[in-house]
Amino acid sequence: MSLPAAIRKFWRSTAPRTQSDVEDEFRSTLEAYQQDLIRQGLPEEEARRTARIALGRPGAQNETYRDAIGLRIFDELGGDVRYGLRALRRNPGFATVAVLSLAIGIGATTAMFSLIYAVLLHPFPYVGADRIMNPVIIDQQRPDEPRWFPLSEAQFDALRAAAPVDSALGFNNARMEITGGALPEDVSGIYITENAGTFFGVRPLLGRDIEPSDAENGGQSVVVLNYHFWQRHFGGDAGVIGQTLEIDHAPYIIVGVMPRSFAFNDTNGIGDVYLPGSLMRGLFNVSYMSYIPWIKLRPHVTLAAADAALEPIVRQFAQQHPERFPDHWSLALQPIIVPYEQETGRTLALLLAGVVLLLMIGCANCSILLLARGRTRRHELAIRAAIGASRWRIIRQLLVEAIVISCSGAVLGVAASYWLARVPLLLSPDSFPAESFIRINADILAFSIGLALLCGILFGLAPALRLSRDDSARVLPGRQIGIAAVQAKHRWSALIAAQVALTLLLMATAGTAIGSFLRLLEMPLGYDPVNVIQVGVKLHTQDPDEWSRIRTREARVAYVEQIRGKIASVPGVSTVAIATDATPPNAGTENGFDIEGSGVHEEPARVILVGEKYFAALRVPLLQGRMWSADENARGDFIAVVNRAFATRYLSWSNVLGRRLRIPGLTSKNRYQATSMQSNAWREIIGVAGDARNDGVDRPVAPAIYVPYTAVMLPYAQFLVRSEGDPLAYLPSIRAAVASAASDQQISNSAFNGTFTLNEAIERDAQYSRQRLFSILFGVFSFMALALALVGIFSVVAYSVAQRTMEFGVRLALGAPRAHVLWVAARIALVSAAAGIVVGLALDGFLGALLAHWMQNVFATGSVFVAAALLSFSALIACLLPARHAISVAPAEALRHE
Amino acid sequence: MTTPVILPQGTLEMLILKAVSLGALHGYGILLRIQQISGERLEILQGSFYTAIYRLERRGWIKGEWGESENNRRARFYSLTAAGTRRLKAETAKWTDMAGVVAGILRTKASEA
Repeated sequence: MSLPAAIRKFWRSTAPRTQSDVEDEFRSTLEAYQQDLIRQGLPEEEARRTARIALGRPGAQNETYRDAIGLRIFDELGGDVRYGLRALRRNPGFATVAVLSLAIGIGATTAMFSLIYAVLLHPFPYVGADRIMNPVIIDQQRPDEPRWFPLSEAQFDALRAAAPVDSALGFNNARMEITGGALPEDVSGIYITENAGTFFGVRPLLGRDIEPSDAENGGQSVVVLNYHFWQRHFGGDAGVIGQTLEIDHAPYIIVGVMPRSFAFNDTNGIGDVYLPGSLMRGLFNVSYMSYIPWIKLRPHVTLAAADAALEPIVRQFAQQHPERFPDHWSLALQPIIVPYEQETGRTLALLLAGVVLLLMIGCANCSILLLARGRTRRHELAIRAAIGASRWRIIRQLLVEAIVISCSGAVLGVAASYWLARVPLLLSPDSFPAESFIRINADILAFSIGLALLCGILFGLAPALRLSRDDSARVLPGRQIGIAAVQAKHRWSALIAAQVALTLLLMATAGTAIGSFLRLLEMPLGYDPVNVIQVGVKLHTQDPDEWSRIRTREARVAYVEQIRGKIASVPGVSTVAIATDATPPNAGTENGFDIEGSGVHEEPARVILVGEKYFAALRVPLLQGRMWSADENARGDFIAVVNRAFATRYLSWSNVLGRRLRIPGLTSKNRYQATSMQSNAWREIIGVAGDARNDGVDRPVAPAIYVPYTAVMLPYAQFLVRSEGDPLAYLPSIRAAVASAASDQQISNSAFNGTFTLNEAIERDAQYSRQRLFSILFGVFSFMALALALVGIFSVVAYSVAQRTMEFGVRLALGAPRAHVLWVAARIALVSAAAGIVVGLALDGFLGALLAHWMQNVFATGSVFVAAALLSFSALIACLLPARHAISVAPAEALRHE
Repeated sequence: MTTPVILPQGTLEMLILKAVSLGALHGYGILLRIQQISGERLEILQGSFYTAIYRLERRGWIKGEWGESENNRRARFYSLTAAGTRRLKAETAKWTDMAGVVAGILRTKASEA
């Protein structure tokens, strides 16, 4: 059944008989009675009249019918709604302002709710997502940094069989290449255990999940695609199922495409392609099966109970592989939402508070407008009361009119929220789970409808109560209300004060957010990010021939130096430095170290692997000593440079050069890494560099040790390229230069060791993007709030001046000074605004402390006073502009006014 | 002519059910029948008459069908449904019961109290 048909059916069931049916019947009764009367001897006209007097008009009968079957309330409400709509049409200025005030508030609140819904309430598409846990190891020396841990197949099975575990998923991320095309394409692959389909419970968009049967014969060569990869690589072609995809020179059959909301996983990178885990056994590059587990607890198992049950099992694993575990650790099961809940939850709560303030200001504005307009409607309402409308009936009518306004606002607002909700995701993409995908659904619609009704009642109630109380006897006799009107307007003064106070709060918060963001921008970075781009290159580990050529450290160093030379020869490129995971604002990895003569240091320092041109490319000043030479760089051992923070913290400033230090952890047995002969032996400090951000844009520079990148060669390399002008413009030539170094060597586009400018790296910083998000959104919120509050003040003064034209005429005629009249006209609004500012200042003092606590960083202060000054000035203008009309009244004209 | 009787609340519906129970009638016919069986002593308020009919039809105690009246006019005839029959029986019993009790009380003499 179609929707209109369903509605018609429902409508008919509420009123089974049509109007004409009811009227026909009534007419037949009327005629029968009339005939009777004629038969009794009355003349025809007389009989008609008598019958109608006795029975009533046929036209009114349908109303009787609907009343009798209980539909009257709907008819009346329908009438009220129609009347409300007509009133809005008649008064387009009022309607626009009122509807927009609410549309802004409801739109922003709905957007924020849908964001919270998508990000915090239902971020993951998995079945039982709230029971899915990430088991992490908490190192007691570094409790802030939980670590994932890999399991062997047997260990994974042991964990899966544990009592509190419902099911477990094992996975392992791997860099892969799509081969067979003109150029290989770098992709992120994830091997997952074959129970993935049932574990996730997510229906594939096309085809099927990875299934248990895929484990047969050492793993079937099948692949399931991620939605975004499918879009990027296949242009969303629905015919891919059954096609062959060549990964690392082996054919795989595409069996499924996952839906857009599926972006497994957040633990260590989203996969482009998902492969059966059993395939890992046959791969030459995986020495043992290792799985990172996600476990789904049985329903009603508490976290503490599960922790206690699983810890002994993991203790056994630690005995088998002590090298994979820190010395002192404990196990914790972390719900998969946890990494987002802490930071993002706060961000969203703060933004939600902002939009709720905006909504309240919008509601206050509507109340003020209704009260102000209500004064012109007193006459109409008095007539309604006089002809028998009860007070409740009038309140109901006014409320329905308010709800008409709020629902119109909600329609606009919900439409806008669809786009508004995306704004935070665009401004701060890394703060939200990749799976969160904004859509308007039934829950969100219900929320906004509820919100609209609530707002309508909230802002409609005060005016309705106020206006319905007017005594018709007092209002009706004449319209000489001029001077008597003075007492009634204190009601909106409280609303104006509230509105101004809330606006001030929002403005102060915006000022604080913008101030902190500006301060973040002004903080010295210690390096120059302008015109520098990082170019990532992934070496060919998967192709046995290619790999054997660059397997040794020396061959690999020569290879990456060759690429460096090619890039450096691109015209317009001034400096090229090689660096390994050393791209600021986050550089290096934490490592313990010893300084000769002062023993072992408990705290770790950042160890940053770089080439000899690093400081030149980033324009980091060298404060003492020298940078190592190209030859020393190739050797990799015996030398190091430290940063200023390291020198001042661990050494005396005058006695740095020549001291020796050692990084015991600077070594590796990983088959893809190659270390120099004595990478973890003593190194002489030959220079001190200036402090460049290495721990995020907002945190102090961590003590750092710079070591030649050749000490530990990884299967990838990054080049920091400084160019003249926009580095992105040079990207095609850089790409060509890299490709010329070796056949099918190309630059990487993955998220971390891919290609991006250093300014992009800053923008991607979590704190930076969060602060930018707050500055922009709160800036917009407070601008809207200010506009709303000014409109409120303006309309109150304008209405009251219009109402009191005669009073002002009389005052002027009696010789009142113009300044006095101006004061009289604007007084109440001005006083209310001033009261609002005082209240706002007090509230802000209280709130500021709360905010500083929440945002966990130093806040710019004093913005509240700037905001208060700005608000006072604008409020004054908003009062005086309409008040001017009061003194421009010609006395004679004013007296004719009513 | 005897004095008119004012109907207590809710009894009009019972009277309509009774009138219709004797055979299908159109609206005006019901009106006439009630006046006839009451000996012209009931003045039914016209407004409430049709309200009562609509309500009874809504509740499914009577059902209306279009037909031809005795003088060949189109009219809507009402007849009692099964639920209406049960209702009339229950109402009648209740009314008789109550009337009996009230009459009994009113007949009580001082000596019997």
